[in-house]
Amino acid sequence: MALNLFKSKETRAMIDRYSLIELIGIYLGIFLFLFFMLAPFIEGFLVSLKPLSQLFSTPYSFWPENGSFSAYVTMWESVPRFGRYIFNSLLISIVSTIIVLILVVPAAYAFARFQFKGMALVLGAFLAVSMFSGAVLLIPLFRLMRTLGLLNTYYAMIIPGAAFLIPAAIWLLRTYMMRIPIELNEAAYMDGASQFYTFRRVILPIARPGIMVVAIMTFIGAYAQQFIFALTFNSKTEFMPLPVGLFAYFGKQEVIWNELMAASFVGIAPAMVIIFFLQRYLVSGLTAGAVKQ
Amino acid sequence: MGQLSLKNVVKTFGDFEVVKRISLDVQEGEFVVFVGPSGCGKSTLLRMIAGLEHTTAGDILIDGNRVNDLPPVKRGIAMVFQSYALYPHMSVYENIAFPLRVERAPEKEIREKVEAAAAILHLDSRLDQKPGNLSGGQRQRVAIGRAIVRQPEIFLFDEPLSNLDAALRADMRIELTRLHKQLSTTMIYVTHDQVEAMTMADRIVVLHDGHIAQVGAPLALYHKPENTFVAGFIGNPRMNFLPVTVQSASDEGITVEFQGQSLTVAVDVPADRRAALAGTQVSLGIRPEHISLGAGNAVIKITPTVVEHLGQQTIGYAKLPDLEDNFCFVLPGTQMIMDDQSVNVSFATSDCHIFDSDGQAFERQIDLSAMTVPAPVLSE
Ligand SMILES: Nc1ncnc2c1ncn2[C@@H]1O[C@H](COP(=O)(O)OP(=O)(O)OP(=O)(O)O)[C@@H](O)[C@H]1O
Ligand SMILES: [Mg+2]
Repeated sequence: MALNLFKSKETRAMIDRYSLIELIGIYLGIFLFLFFMLAPFIEGFLVSLKPLSQLFSTPYSFWPENGSFSAYVTMWESVPRFGRYIFNSLLISIVSTIIVLILVVPAAYAFARFQFKGMALVLGAFLAVSMFSGAVLLIPLFRLMRTLGLLNTYYAMIIPGAAFLIPAAIWLLRTYMMRIPIELNEAAYMDGASQFYTFRRVILPIARPGIMVVAIMTFIGAYAQQFIFALTFNSKTEFMPLPVGLFAYFGKQEVIWNELMAASFVGIAPAMVIIFFLQRYLVSGLTAGAVKQ
Repeated sequence: MGQLSLKNVVKTFGDFEVVKRISLDVQEGEFVVFVGPSGCGKSTLLRMIAGLEHTTAGDILIDGNRVNDLPPVKRGIAMVFQSYALYPHMSVYENIAFPLRVERAPEKEIREKVEAAAAILHLDSRLDQKPGNLSGGQRQRVAIGRAIVRQPEIFLFDEPLSNLDAALRADMRIELTRLHKQLSTTMIYVTHDQVEAMTMADRIVVLHDGHIAQVGAPLALYHKPENTFVAGFIGNPRMNFLPVTVQSASDEGITVEFQGQSLTVAVDVPADRRAALAGTQVSLGIRPEHISLGAGNAVIKITPTVVEHLGQQTIGYAKLPDLEDNFCFVLPGTQMIMDDQSVNVSFATSDCHIFDSDGQAFERQIDLSAMTVPAPVLSE
């Protein structure tokens, strides 16, 4: 007998029925996979609960003894600017995401709906550009930023970040928009709607889940990317984003590991909340009933 | 208002000529159906009339004005798509209201018109729902509603019922005919379902490979097809074509030799062609439903390989020695015949059609007005 984990056996489709051995194998596999993925986070969280002295005790104990959340309080005292770093990170990521969306949504629509000369070339070039990571182009970018006088400003961290995120976003959204039936455009055209009206009233609402995916991907991308740009293009502490700000916990003599871990979790929390809210808009099947497939 | 003329209209995609010099006049208030096999260019022609497809050559005139370069709205045309093309994120109300919103009509007018359209189409109780929650027939009605609120002069339908099941299709067919009566607007309707064509059309346009094979009232096409293509396309099961040799041609018609029998079919033959015709091969066309059991003008002894008993009728298929296709016959009611048992069937020469070696028909000497319902009086 299989375990009644989600549904009773009778209500399951035949293809979804597994024997006990298979079920154990499946969950063991899932557990192993999750453990490898999450082990660093678990360890990080446990470290944040331990007093600093216990971290260097031998033998090393995995479980915190008399663990407490005190690191989550003291971290704010050790690095008073920490709140500012979180704010900077969010600002850079949110502004990058907004810039990317403003540019990418119309561009993806154009690439999805219009035929024009050189389209394949441009799309290919986008793909080629996104193969370079920003890191490869740091030196030329640095010179460019210096010439434009953008070093040590928010712009230096936002603009290159956004630029590197655009190609992938266009590809992603274009694919999504190509799935919107062309008949909807034709029907709107028959009803007298202009291209722009159709885009705004028909295409945009239908493409919303796709735009949300792009927004989430871009936000995460911008969040992950900012470290390298901040490190190279910015030396002002008040503009530093979270990943660079965490270096403040590396003291002269020692690293305050428990506070560093606590700060990491606290720092990520706002981003997690934003992503959580964005993904609620990822309603699938919004085109149901548009055309008969 | 709503009179359409096509003058030598051509459409090519690259080198591929899809619509070949089509000329056609559609009267105001007429219900015209385009039929033809898949790929013959029906949709392309319709989309050119709609203004969705550029016209390669020729002129499209509406009420005497050339509209080739006008967008659909300026042509006064609305179209219902095969795939409904409803806006999935809008309610039924907003879907129907869409053309009016584009025009920036006042809210009060929008409400009145949408409610009037919804009443005609029995959608009153569905106005707040999204298209995704509607059945196929209801979705198609919403699409029609969106077309009628703008009060166009010409409606275009591209196979609007082909996604519906058979029962619903029959219902919608009747509703569309009713709608046409109610609105008395010009309607052009594409289908490959000949039942739809025969039942709804004032006139049928049979398209074949991008040109018009014949235009005429449904029963005129049935009784007087001008060529083998139309003869084979209209009528189900399709007409049997039997190769026969001409013995003579006269005022009475053409006398042919068929399996040792001499049959005289009453058709008009131009006097100058009569002499050359003798001895040539022509096709004798006879519809399956005109074949009966027992004696008649022409008798054939056949052995059906398959007999289908439908209750309402009995359909048999047999191999004839000089015929590639199956010889098909339809008998009324349930007939006591079996496959692989030979039986004598016959047909009357008055039901026969004769086609020359190019597939063109000799006009039958029949009184069409006695066989067709009177043409409807088109309202002005
Ligand atoms: N955009 C296009 N580019 C190239 N060829 C096309 C295009 N649209 C249609 N065709 C070709 O034109 C021909 C006629 O197409 P059309 O859609 O008008 O056929 P149809 O009569 O409506 O057929 P069906 O009954 O299957 O809908 C087809 O052979 C098709 O391949
Ligand atoms: Mg078609």
